[in-house]
Amino acid sequence: MVLIPYLFAAAAWGQKNESEKISTSAVLIDFTTDIQPLLKDHCVKCHGANKQKGGFRLDEKIAALKGGENHAPAIKPGNSAESPLIQFVSGTVPDMKMPPEDSSLSPEQIGLLRSWIDQGATWPDDGTREIHWSLKPVSRPAVPSIANRQSQRTNPVDAFIKEKLMEKKLKQSNEADRRTLVRRLFFDLTGLPPTPEEVNAFERNNSPDAYEKLVEKLLASPRHGERWARHWLDVVRFAETTGFEVNTPRANAWPYRDYVIHSFNQDKPYDKFVMEQIAGDVLGEDAATGFLVAGPEDLVKSPDPVLTSNQRADELHDMVSTTASTMLGLTVGCARCHNHKFDPIPQTDYFAMKAVFEGVRHGERKLKTADSEKREQELSRHRLRLAEIDASIEELEPLAQAAYIRTNELRAPVNSRRNVERFVPLPVKRLRFTIVETTDAEPCLDELEIYSAEEKPRNVALSAVGTKALASGVYPNSDIHRLEHINDGRHGNNRSWISNERGKGWVELEFPDLVTVGRIIWGRDREGKFSDRLATGYRIEVAQGSNDWKTVATSADRQPHKPGAKEQAAVNISGLKPEQAAQLTRLLAERKEHESRIAALSRDSLFYGGIFTGSPGPTYRLHRGDPMQNREIISVGALGVIPVKFEKPSPAGGVVIPEKLTEDQQSRLALANWITDPANPLMARVMVNRLWQYHFGDGLVNTPSDFGANGARPTHPELLDWLAAEFMAPTAKTAQPWSIKHIHRLIVNSTTYRQSSAMRKDGFDADAGSRLLWRFPPRRLEAEPIRDAILSVSGRLDLKMGGPGFSFFEPNDNYVRVYAAKKDFGPETFRRMIYGTVVRQRPDGVFGVFDCPDGGQIAPKRTRSTTPLQALNLLNSGFIMQQATFFAGRLEKETGSDVGGRIRRAFALTFQRPPDRAEMQMAAKLIREQGLTVFCRALLNANEFVYLF
Amino acid sequence: MKNEGISNAGRWLLNRRDFLRHGGTGLGGIALSCLLAEQKLIGADKSPVRPAWSPEHPNAPRKPHFTARAKNVVVIFCSGACAHLETWDYKPELIKRHGQPMPGQDKLITFQGENGNLTRPHWEFKPRGKSGKMISDLLPNLAGLADDLCFIHSMTAKSNTHGPAENQMGTGFVLDGFPSVGSWVSYALGTENQDLPVFVAIPDPRGVPQVGPNHWNAAFLPPVFQGTPFNADKPIPNLETPNSISPGAESGSRDFLRFLNDRHLAKHPGDSELLARISSYELAAKMQLSAAEVSEFSKESKATLELYGVNDSNKLKAGFAKNCLLARRLVERGVRFVQLFNGAYAMGEGVGNWDGHKTLKEQYEVHAPILDQPCAALLKDMKARGLMEETLVVWVTEFGRMPTFQKGANGRDHNPHGFTVWMTGAGVKKGFSHGATDEFGYKAVDKITTIYDLHATILHILGIDHERLSFYHNGIERRLTDVHGKVITDLLV
Repeated sequence: MVLIPYLFAAAAWGQKNESEKISTSAVLIDFTTDIQPLLKDHCVKCHGANKQKGGFRLDEKIAALKGGENHAPAIKPGNSAESPLIQFVSGTVPDMKMPPEDSSLSPEQIGLLRSWIDQGATWPDDGTREIHWSLKPVSRPAVPSIANRQSQRTNPVDAFIKEKLMEKKLKQSNEADRRTLVRRLFFDLTGLPPTPEEVNAFERNNSPDAYEKLVEKLLASPRHGERWARHWLDVVRFAETTGFEVNTPRANAWPYRDYVIHSFNQDKPYDKFVMEQIAGDVLGEDAATGFLVAGPEDLVKSPDPVLTSNQRADELHDMVSTTASTMLGLTVGCARCHNHKFDPIPQTDYFAMKAVFEGVRHGERKLKTADSEKREQELSRHRLRLAEIDASIEELEPLAQAAYIRTNELRAPVNSRRNVERFVPLPVKRLRFTIVETTDAEPCLDELEIYSAEEKPRNVALSAVGTKALASGVYPNSDIHRLEHINDGRHGNNRSWISNERGKGWVELEFPDLVTVGRIIWGRDREGKFSDRLATGYRIEVAQGSNDWKTVATSADRQPHKPGAKEQAAVNISGLKPEQAAQLTRLLAERKEHESRIAALSRDSLFYGGIFTGSPGPTYRLHRGDPMQNREIISVGALGVIPVKFEKPSPAGGVVIPEKLTEDQQSRLALANWITDPANPLMARVMVNRLWQYHFGDGLVNTPSDFGANGARPTHPELLDWLAAEFMAPTAKTAQPWSIKHIHRLIVNSTTYRQSSAMRKDGFDADAGSRLLWRFPPRRLEAEPIRDAILSVSGRLDLKMGGPGFSFFEPNDNYVRVYAAKKDFGPETFRRMIYGTVVRQRPDGVFGVFDCPDGGQIAPKRTRSTTPLQALNLLNSGFIMQQATFFAGRLEKETGSDVGGRIRRAFALTFQRPPDRAEMQMAAKLIREQGLTVFCRALLNANEFVYLF
Repeated sequence: MKNEGISNAGRWLLNRRDFLRHGGTGLGGIALSCLLAEQKLIGADKSPVRPAWSPEHPNAPRKPHFTARAKNVVVIFCSGACAHLETWDYKPELIKRHGQPMPGQDKLITFQGENGNLTRPHWEFKPRGKSGKMISDLLPNLAGLADDLCFIHSMTAKSNTHGPAENQMGTGFVLDGFPSVGSWVSYALGTENQDLPVFVAIPDPRGVPQVGPNHWNAAFLPPVFQGTPFNADKPIPNLETPNSISPGAESGSRDFLRFLNDRHLAKHPGDSELLARISSYELAAKMQLSAAEVSEFSKESKATLELYGVNDSNKLKAGFAKNCLLARRLVERGVRFVQLFNGAYAMGEGVGNWDGHKTLKEQYEVHAPILDQPCAALLKDMKARGLMEETLVVWVTEFGRMPTFQKGANGRDHNPHGFTVWMTGAGVKKGFSHGATDEFGYKAVDKITTIYDLHATILHILGIDHERLSFYHNGIERRLTDVHGKVITDLLV
């Protein structure tokens, strides 16, 4: 720049009047070329996106001109001498020299800054940071006019694709043959091969809209949702175990899978689909919130507060980052410890989103379904009867022997579920349960029930009736083991009390008034999941006054508990009269019936969709993401970079009545509204790109869950925007806004999609990866369509939809779950692979190596690898041998004894085409020499079978 | 077809050079840019390097970033957290203050709850070898090799729970879903023996450790780089041709399959994935032979079998001994990365592994003999055969244990603040100790070391810059060491 020597002189003199004179007469300073690089090199390390020392940053216009915590504004346009920035960089203020230490700005640089400020500190808008392409509003670009020249079809998709191809002097390939098209459509839209009959029908159908009709048929097929739901489940890291060390199954996670399948099948508007997954509990789609808790959770809890906080922070991190990557294509998770390195996402935005999910916990809750009420009624009938039976059984329970023990009348040993203590009723004010020995560790009681001696006994222990609980101590830092759980009327380990001392502890209940009691029921876990921490030695005392304790029952008259032995029966028959024994047996049998019915009814209605805390505690910004370093409180919100206001739902918010919502629900609904606002440019772009990716193998943007600065750029930005605009506000009259099937139609009906996949030298030389779509890019099928196709070809595919899945692994109930791959597969496993229970870390033993994600992190795009282990599994696994046998059996059954007929049928089933003469000969030879099954096994391994062209 | 001597696929493979030249904008381009990047490595350039691997030959050997000190790695993982204070970390002050509370740690809550008093080790520490290194009597055979070992006494972990901590030792991250060390190494270097998996995980005879497959999963790396788990008792699943398929049927179907695939390829010339899949069947056939051969010990001498304890009357020890021998045979055949697991979780806390919470002495008396002789034999045997010249052996566990006993129990709780791991073989000093814990062995205080540092050092010894080895996943150039890690130059030779 010509003015450099001049400025150098000015700065060197350091004279205020001189510099003013100079700068006003100098050539205009350009912010972008002269100033911004200087700030970037010398200032933004401490005053930029990652650090803002003194609250001051120099990488963004608004923040820079506003100034920091002190000395603001640091830049006074038109007056460099009065600007603290200049005073600091020139070292005129002691102790405030900037940059600190040795790295001073050169006199030239200081001069540049002075001049720029004196000229008015022009900082162009957006000059701070060019708005990243994906964050710009979606506009509907004009469709290039070239489409109509060559093709009868006027599909805008083709126009955009052809325009790009023309730039590279490439043409599209010819349309693929009918057989290839029907196979492509079936696998792409339903994940299954067409039957030979379906292939023939399509090949023979000469009507001009035969193709479009087939597309409609396949989009309407229930198989379609099963295919496309699998893609979505990859994106949201869905799995049906907890992951980490114990990797416990989530038996009731499947309703979310069914919800996703159903949503794709019914073409649920995408905005609704997104909203329901974040706030389905409010929007009448309970199962949708399975999304929030589909990720891993570390079940190994500890009294260590650091560990507990870290675990919770990781759970919420999973929710924040998956929501953002799935719905927005942004890696918000990167801003957990610091401001995002590449995208304009400050750490505070991360915590604002975290605050939205603060009320969400992992766990099962009741699924509201159409028959929920009926179910509930039936449940309460069974529970009522159960209570009556229990009361009758307990009448037969021997009284506890508190004083002299008759050893021939010992009561049943303690068990972990439910123990009854009966004694002669007496009026009491307080009751104390003292534990002196346990099977192991600190003792646990899930509930202490104390019944009044009345015609209709009441549980007088409940805190709800005013009874107060006191204990020797409580297990530290636990949400699930708390003193108030001892008398909250709720059962199970998650609502229990655990002492803080190994092998001992006591609980005392004080009733609001003197009350006559004669029966106590206690257990370690009435839900029967845990049998450790059981009190084996105890005494129960009561008092009327302050210190007149009297023992009413102890463990001394019980038979000894046998550690490790199977849970003993809760009731002891010995010592009863024959008619009493008979009555007891009858009652126990009836009890069992009701119990199993209750279990069945409650199991079906529970699902893994998260537990919501209505008013969660505050969210703090965590310094460096460390849960031990709380900083300021952050309120709920979303990303500042997207120009949509984050608002709590207003009272006029349609179907939902916000006043009835909890704080947590309001926050999640607000986020759902915010994400789905049409002014958010990301949601539509990200989703149409995903759809494109699964049709063509690669997205227009090759990093489908990262549309940020570090992600890929779109190959066809205009097409992406046109599709996004069409998705939000379709021009086609028949289409609804946010219709996923509308986008499917646009894509698969295009000539681009219908092209042949044949290799072409000119295309390959210019674009080896076929990203410009001079052909349909061929690809290996994923694990699921391969397995489903094998079952379909063998004739054993079970198309039962929905409900709990099947397992690829041998049953096991170890605490740390052991997943041993099944060797023998029964018909229950012949369902589509999407119904195979997804075990985190452990994909299926046969097809997992075909790039199935492991459920640990999101998998927005599967790799497509080729390995010897895949070959070994497809050749030698029990599953393949079994299916090859079925396949051979099917051929024999369907074609009689003619070998030629069998071969033709086999080729039609696997390759959708007849064999040629050479193939016929080779196949016949193999069958003759080695049998039909060997031939079938070979077909299932062929490239033609597992590749899509 | 057969008579022509070479299949279409074979011809394509031979012509791969031409193929790559024609496709110069594709893979060749990537290779070139990586080569250029590698040449700049000596400078301060820390830009990411994604190894130039091709889907056709994913495991082809690849050059390291700089001269490697070792070619192969064996990681011995002791599952459940083997107590450093009972084995490698000698603390006279702990012995002296036995039975007293740990100063300044009143009412300390760790993983399982409150802690009791300081407790001396159950086994006596004695000076070993020329170095005089103090090691306990728990593992006498390994102790005898002290002069070959390079200890890191100041290791720290991020989590005090088995799952996340194993994840960190195995993958660098406490969360699920990140690639294992062996996967990174396979991705970086490929292998020189195409007939065996590049990365083998050998589970303990008692089962797999807590986070099992996370130790060898490829996570978001291409699955071709995941470890193949098998041990001396359980071969690679589906390796063997089923009994119902006779040798004639097998070769007949392979010929037929090749015939079909060749014709299919002829219709789709130039689609390299098809070719890769054809060659994967050839590799599978070779692997069937090689993997069976490597697990077959009949040619091992009696002395060797005895050295390891392969026929020991203790079935678990014999099982682990066979796994150790298998490890040597794998390394011998050029397998790049071998993981050898000692201990499993399925049997419960401390029963099948080193998780000595309640009855540490009784449990370690069971576990130590299983580990000691076979593991020492592996080191001696590899040294005798010259394998140690190019193999790095790393012994690790997920974290340490407390100097105190748990309140009311006879065992030690989890302690991630300071513990010991060691290395031996190519690239590291012998008879050397790095870093130290405090006087009781509770926290690392001198030259505090992280698992990131350990991983950085392993990669460095293999000639890989941990700051550059990279794979793009959802917005980030991912590294084994995240954004951390310093090579522990102190212990390099």
